[in-house]
Amino acid sequence: MVKRNRKGESGQAKNYITRTQAVKKLQLSLPDFRKLCIWKGIYPREPRNRRKVSKSATASTTFYYTKDIQYLLHEPLLQKFRDQKVLEKKISRALGRGDVSDASRLERNAARPDKTGKPRYTLNHVIRERYPTFIDAIRDLDDCLSMLFLFANLPSTTAVPAKMIARCERLCLEFQHYLITTNSLRKSFLSIKGIYYQANIQGEDVLWLVPYKFNQRVVGDVDFRIMGTFVEFYMTLLGFVNYRLYTSIGLKYPPKFDQLKDDQGAELAAFSLEGANLATIDQAEAVTNGETEHGPDPKVQAQVDQLMLQLREESGGDTTAEETPAEDAEGEDKPSDAIDKFEPVAPGGDVLPQPSYSSNDPAQLFAPFTFFLSRETPRQSLEFILRAFGCKRIGWDSVLGEGSFTTDESDPSITHQIVDRPLVQAAMDEEAGDGEDNQTAQKLGPNHRYPGRVYVQPQWVWDSVNDEELKSPELYAPGAGLPPHLSPFVKTAQGQYDPTIPLEEQQTEAEAIDAQLEDADGQPHDEESEVENDMDIASGDEEEEEEEEDGDFGGFPGEENEASDDEDESATLERQRELEAEMAGKSVQSKKPADAKTKAKLEEKKALEKKKKQEAEDLERAKGMLSKKKRKLFEQMQYTNNKKSAEDMKLRAKRRKMEKEAAAKKNKA
Amino acid sequence: MGLKQADKKRKSVAADPQSDDELGNGLFDGVLSASEDEDDYVPSGEEDGVGESDSEVTEGSEDEDEEEDDAEDDDAFLSDDIPSDIDGEEEMGKLVKEATELEITEPGVDPKRKETGDVEQNYRVEKDANGGERYVYEEVDPVYDSDDSDAKGPVNTIGEIPLTFYDSYPHIGYDINGKKIMRPATGDALQSLLDSIEVPKGWTGLTDVNTGNPLNLTQEELELVRRVQMGLIPNELEDPYPDTVEYFTSVEEKMPLSSAPEPKRRFLPSKNEAKQIMKLVRAIREGRILPYKPHEEREREEEEKEEVHFDLWQNEEYQEPNPMHIPAPKLPPPGYDLSYNPPQEYLPTQEEREEWENADPEDREKEYLPQQYNALRKVPAWGSLVKERFERCMDLYLAPRVRKNRLNIDPNSLLPKLPSPSELKPFPTVVQTIFRGHEGRVRSVSVDPTGVALATGGDDGTVRVWELLTGRQVWSVKLSSDEPVNTVRWRPTKDSFILAAATGEDVFMMVPTHASVTPALDQASRDVLATGFGYATHKQQQAPDGKEPPAKWARPGTKLEDEGVLIRITVRSTIKVINWHRRGDHFATVSPTGQRSSVAIHTLSKHLTQIPFRKLSGLAQTAAFHPLRPLFFVATQRTIRCYDLQKLELIKVVQPGAKWISSFDIHPGGDNLIVGSYDKRLLWHDMDLSNRPYKTMRFHGEAIRQVRYHRGGLPLFADASDDGSLQIFHGKVPNDQLENPTIVPVKMLKGHKVVNKLGVLDIDWHPREPWCVSAGADGTARLWM
Repeated sequence: MVKRNRKGESGQAKNYITRTQAVKKLQLSLPDFRKLCIWKGIYPREPRNRRKVSKSATASTTFYYTKDIQYLLHEPLLQKFRDQKVLEKKISRALGRGDVSDASRLERNAARPDKTGKPRYTLNHVIRERYPTFIDAIRDLDDCLSMLFLFANLPSTTAVPAKMIARCERLCLEFQHYLITTNSLRKSFLSIKGIYYQANIQGEDVLWLVPYKFNQRVVGDVDFRIMGTFVEFYMTLLGFVNYRLYTSIGLKYPPKFDQLKDDQGAELAAFSLEGANLATIDQAEAVTNGETEHGPDPKVQAQVDQLMLQLREESGGDTTAEETPAEDAEGEDKPSDAIDKFEPVAPGGDVLPQPSYSSNDPAQLFAPFTFFLSRETPRQSLEFILRAFGCKRIGWDSVLGEGSFTTDESDPSITHQIVDRPLVQAAMDEEAGDGEDNQTAQKLGPNHRYPGRVYVQPQWVWDSVNDEELKSPELYAPGAGLPPHLSPFVKTAQGQYDPTIPLEEQQTEAEAIDAQLEDADGQPHDEESEVENDMDIASGDEEEEEEEEDGDFGGFPGEENEASDDEDESATLERQRELEAEMAGKSVQSKKPADAKTKAKLEEKKALEKKKKQEAEDLERAKGMLSKKKRKLFEQMQYTNNKKSAEDMKLRAKRRKMEKEAAAKKNKA
Repeated sequence: MGLKQADKKRKSVAADPQSDDELGNGLFDGVLSASEDEDDYVPSGEEDGVGESDSEVTEGSEDEDEEEDDAEDDDAFLSDDIPSDIDGEEEMGKLVKEATELEITEPGVDPKRKETGDVEQNYRVEKDANGGERYVYEEVDPVYDSDDSDAKGPVNTIGEIPLTFYDSYPHIGYDINGKKIMRPATGDALQSLLDSIEVPKGWTGLTDVNTGNPLNLTQEELELVRRVQMGLIPNELEDPYPDTVEYFTSVEEKMPLSSAPEPKRRFLPSKNEAKQIMKLVRAIREGRILPYKPHEEREREEEEKEEVHFDLWQNEEYQEPNPMHIPAPKLPPPGYDLSYNPPQEYLPTQEEREEWENADPEDREKEYLPQQYNALRKVPAWGSLVKERFERCMDLYLAPRVRKNRLNIDPNSLLPKLPSPSELKPFPTVVQTIFRGHEGRVRSVSVDPTGVALATGGDDGTVRVWELLTGRQVWSVKLSSDEPVNTVRWRPTKDSFILAAATGEDVFMMVPTHASVTPALDQASRDVLATGFGYATHKQQQAPDGKEPPAKWARPGTKLEDEGVLIRITVRSTIKVINWHRRGDHFATVSPTGQRSSVAIHTLSKHLTQIPFRKLSGLAQTAAFHPLRPLFFVATQRTIRCYDLQKLELIKVVQPGAKWISSFDIHPGGDNLIVGSYDKRLLWHDMDLSNRPYKTMRFHGEAIRQVRYHRGGLPLFADASDDGSLQIFHGKVPNDQLENPTIVPVKMLKGHKVVNKLGVLDIDWHPREPWCVSAGADGTARLWM
């Protein structure tokens, strides 16, 4: 007897299960199912063919893998949910009977994590299942950190209990402490949404977003029950991750937490880290007189010296033949964790990439400095980032909270002060005069500066961190127009617009020619005489060309030039024809050498266009050879590429315009 | 004091019977003799009194005596009155008895005295056998009311009638015997005045209904009332808290109740108890039973309990990720435009800003507008951060994840590597010659095997032969006045110069005059055509079996014969296609409208026409001989069938998938086939590979009329379309069987005008050079080179 294949008994119909079916199978309520899915990381799937899966499926039907749901059937949490359900039933029954005392007794037994922030169950096993190795957990830390940092900054409401917020805050601060101790913060970015941080933990890049310290506005229909479920999971996850991270560097977890200090707003300083079997690590080692601590840490200095020596050794080669062996011997004595450099002995072998020795260790960037944060600066983020990059002594105004190195602005050990306030115009004049004299004065004018101290805006810290070098503080002086703050996360692809590179290096040929032509005939008419007067001063080819062009093509209205910018081919052609005609007429009238140049440019452009046309034709031919599917794909790709390049072109055009305006301003001034 | 005294007396009375010796001390004598003497009693009180001073007792008794006297007076007064009415000792005794009864309700009368009075008659003392005293009690006469304790003194029987009814009578009612109860004598006015002034103790102002006397309370009653008022126990002497009397333990039994030995279990610990205790112990150990704590304290403790952390990944081991698992994609990192202080060029212009603001939030490409703040302190909180996070959460658990292969490659790498057109040369690029002369469309073109002459046939019914390179018309003949010349084809051998042309149902064989035609060649050609006439006549005579022969071979008439048209073959329906066999002896004609006889194979040497297919599925469109092997291809609308001419069987059915095949051509190598169709497709078939097309090319906007391979060794083919263009392809068939042919489109030749939606109707290649000739609907033929 041949086995009959019936519909709906194998294949996709069996592999997928709708959400309603899944809920029924698990005998759960929908919110409990949701919770379970969130914690276990079960997500819906999109079947290849909806009709094959279920005849009655609509577009909004959610499908899960049947195997996923089967896997959920064995979940111990399921029993907890059921117990809870039974309890709820008992409570409601007791209330129905009017037995209030019984109801309240049962209610006391009920776990209400949404109220107490503490469930009766643990999610440990779920975390272990979802992340079989620690690295897996690190890889998935992005969302976790963003979420917890957001919740740490939320106001407490009925939906978000204060306990949960406190716990989130604590976990976040503990995590920050780890980053500070290991100096594993790599990059940070001030965006309009908040501050992005990127850390490298055990070789994995973790990126998260921390909101600015403001009261968060909750707009739209945000279901905090769902968020709460996520946060519950993430809190457990980060707890275990923190434990592992702390123990991996020989620290005790949880660190000692000083409630009193925390109440006074110490935040990071409320924790004191302890070695696993040592006494408390002295966090505030430098909390004495700044004078003695002013110099860098001797240990650090020794390391730096050693490193410098190494570098010199490497770069210098064998300048001092006698010294090197001695040092080598010295080096042999001390086993170090540093990677040895492999040099190919004989040519021919493949070169394997090695992590490079960076001269600027992140732990050393701010190590020698003492910072003072003004009242208006964001203390939390600055403290974190400065500490993470090696700074040990950060002082701030006492209104910013407890835990500062010094609250005295006039402390002589301060080397850098971070200021984010505008210069007061009235005091400017005085400042020059009495800045030196009033050194002893306790109360200071709005623009008073202590001598021997660098005043910078907060962006200096971020830019220095991202570029791994101390930026010149002049650019970031208080009141100065700041240079643009660029995202360190962008990896520019070939041909994409990059604001850090000069325009000339990245514009396309056609754009360059267009720009030059535009330069040539885009000059305002009235400048003509002026320019001609300055003939002898002008030396660059470009300018010369401009002048000449002005003479000849001044009559062209600006609008037409704008139109030529567009890729409207007919317009361009028309204009070209016009230009050619003009040139032909002109060549009879005048024999200026610049004409030839313009002509050459025009010809170049023409050639370029011809080439383009040729290429387009070739492309069309090649496209004809593709199958329909591939052609569709190709066209789609081209569409996105074109869109991107159009965006880039727009950006380049904007920049060109701005640069031109700036140049014009400079010329006038 | 008085009350106390009385109580004591009562007690002493109670004690009297017990104290035999006391009774026996001769006191009774006095009692018997003097009934109303208080002094008699005093010694007994003295004897009774425990530790009380004599003087006190005497005083008390004296006091009482006075009181008693008063009461005695009353009694006497009462008794004085009553005896007057009542006669007889019995009555008197009764009355006395009643008085004693009244004593309970009416204190003040010493009960003791009455008792003693009773006692005197109750018993007598005798001497028993031992000489001791013995009390001998009288027999009790059980009369009606002998033990009626409830019987009261003279009870008024008037019932509910108010006493005022008797105001005018000397009596106040009747007793139970119907005797009048006389009104007690009231004192005189002075006495009543005195009474009203001096309110006696216990005065209530009420009158006893039964007696008519004023109802006064006694001292005892007053005390009782006072105690009740004070909330004390009414009876002073009653002890509310008496010592318990241990009835059983106080009595120690000398002997055991049972003589059975003690059971062993009394000395062993109970197993059941141990079980119960272990249950509790276990519960405590497991934490099911917790020591009681107030609820608040317990809650506080629970809150303080830290979450336990440990190394969750202590013995971690790498697991191969589930292939079905798709990790959630990470959010893209922020770009330059998200900076609080971005480069100027990222800031939106006014139009961009307006466009963004006017767009629906769902339509916006980015959910934010780049903004610039010139100081960090000016950056506000991001309003929709919570919402964005929430949406991310929703995505994480609710969005179906699908793995999409994003080809992060240069799209140009998808394009096939085509050799550049210059490497594919030579191919025709420009018009070299235009052949004008036909009126109406040129339907067909053909280049002769030597490559010097071109034959065309058109709607005007003429066949013209041209000098190929110069475009000069060298020869022309009008075959028909009303029907167009549908097709012209040269005989493909160089040993003759024969042209076949079809108009309507006729095929004409002609030998045109041309400069290249030597007289010898001309003669040879005429001979080829003429040899079959004997055969033909023979054959036609052979088949007179009523059936019409498939074709009639005849001479076209002297007029045409003079011009060089030598044979006329008439078939049953309009011929559209002529195709020669490579040797030139056979040619096939196709007349799509001729039902069964649509395909015919003619043999020139024998003037023979055969109809190979009795039945054909679909309308035959065109037919061709295989260039190398004895195979014959017939194209119907949908398929191309390949027949073996020797075995006379169907070998293969090629299915191009086109809706309506217009033409096809077989590659000179014999393994490849191109098909043109009216639905704008050009299909390349590799016949060894599959029945389905190897490549499908759709470059024409209109139907394809004709396709043709180059026959002179160049890897070229061309198609002609109704859109007025020819397309030239490079189609190289490799010698290696394993390699696929490379097909490269090389050129689009445009020049023919579209007339009545018809463009190019026919093409032909030069036998050696990369030149091709096309016939257009605009009345011209063109040579492209």
